Amino acid sequence: MSSLTDRYLAATLRAVPAPRRAEISSELRAAIEDMIDDRTGAGQDAEAAEREVLTELGQPERLAARYADRRLQLIGPTYYLVWQRVLRLMLATVPGTVGVVVGVLEATVGDDRGRAVGVGITSAFQTAVQIAFWVTLGFAVLERTDTSLNLPEWSVDQLPEGPAERDVRLTDTCASVAMLLLTLAFLPWQHFQPWVSDTDGDRIPLLDPALWSSWLPFLAAVLVASLVLEVAKYRAGRWTWPLVAVNAALDLAFAVPVIVLLLTDRLLNPELVRRFDWLRTDGHLDTVARVTVVVVAAITVWDVAENIVKARRHHA
Amino acid sequence: MSEEILRTHLQELRRGTAVVASLVALRRPDYGYALLQHLAAHGFPVDANTLYPLLRRLEEQGLLTSEWNTEESRPRKFYRTSDEGETVLARLLDDLAAVQTSVAGLIEGDHR
Repeated sequence: MSSLTDRYLAATLRAVPAPRRAEISSELRAAIEDMIDDRTGAGQDAEAAEREVLTELGQPERLAARYADRRLQLIGPTYYLVWQRVLRLMLATVPGTVGVVVGVLEATVGDDRGRAVGVGITSAFQTAVQIAFWVTLGFAVLERTDTSLNLPEWSVDQLPEGPAERDVRLTDTCASVAMLLLTLAFLPWQHFQPWVSDTDGDRIPLLDPALWSSWLPFLAAVLVASLVLEVAKYRAGRWTWPLVAVNAALDLAFAVPVIVLLLTDRLLNPELVRRFDWLRTDGHLDTVARVTVVVVAAITVWDVAENIVKARRHHA
Repeated sequence: MSEEILRTHLQELRRGTAVVASLVALRRPDYGYALLQHLAAHGFPVDANTLYPLLRRLEEQGLLTSEWNTEESRPRKFYRTSDEGETVLARLLDDLAAVQTSVAGLIEGDHR
């Protein structure tokens, strides 16, 4: 027995389940010898015939996979779509969250802002790599153990509602969320890190500090509710009438207190008004208040009207 | 039409016929390489690395029985179509005939 055939058999049998090794070995050896004999019988050189036969049988691992009925793929069609969906969902949410949380923690513990950003990005990247590895490994194991996930069969009820193209785009939602977060952050920021100082060098908050025990928590709550609404809207993919109604209610809940506070001179910090002579002369304060009221009212009316138009267009 | 596309379609069409051909041919017991040559001679060229694992799988499914023949110079495993194999083969042949009838009907434009 020539060594090439022995090596081929050894390489093939290594990848075949042990209980069947002996039988496959004798059968495959006989088959290879038959094939070689057939070629040498036709006048071919024995060595060349052996090479040709083994080449025809192909890569030992591939042949073994056929014997063992094993799939030569990491994740097959059964799990591919689930794997893809789980991976996308997790990569879209977890690394970003981890990065922000770690970065913020680092920024509060240490003083180096740049370092905090670096640490945040690194941990987000590491999290993404970990997720990709473990999710893929999990599905590859499922594939190999033939474990059934008992996933519900696809049904037409799972079709996304409405047209395939979204009325609510991710970029719009991100922009709105960013605006809301900035507004939300502005409330404590103007109190603790204001840019105006009084004559003693003490900082003067922009808004009346007395409002912290009344309207400011309420406004902050409205902003948080608006954030939730943005997420709900994105999930729905379009404006529905309940969403329009809630949005209008939240718009009004924000605008009406602001307007009333402005008109009754209770929004701005009295200290601040005293600090700026210009505000106190010639009714400038009233002008500023009136212009702000008009702008707030216009934005609110515009927002509500725009949403009604979008909802109508969708339901038409 | 590229050769590659044609080859893929022919391969798709041929897939499965190796099972039918093997079950028919093995009504008379035979061993792997002899079966391969027998099939090739009758217009069923099957790759060796497809046929040998296929025979084992059909045996595990109970469609073939096997017996080692040690009388000759080289011990060989002889396969034979089992009773269960015959039943399955009958169904497969029926279906093959049905496919042929359907294709013929389509070609003639006979929609019944």
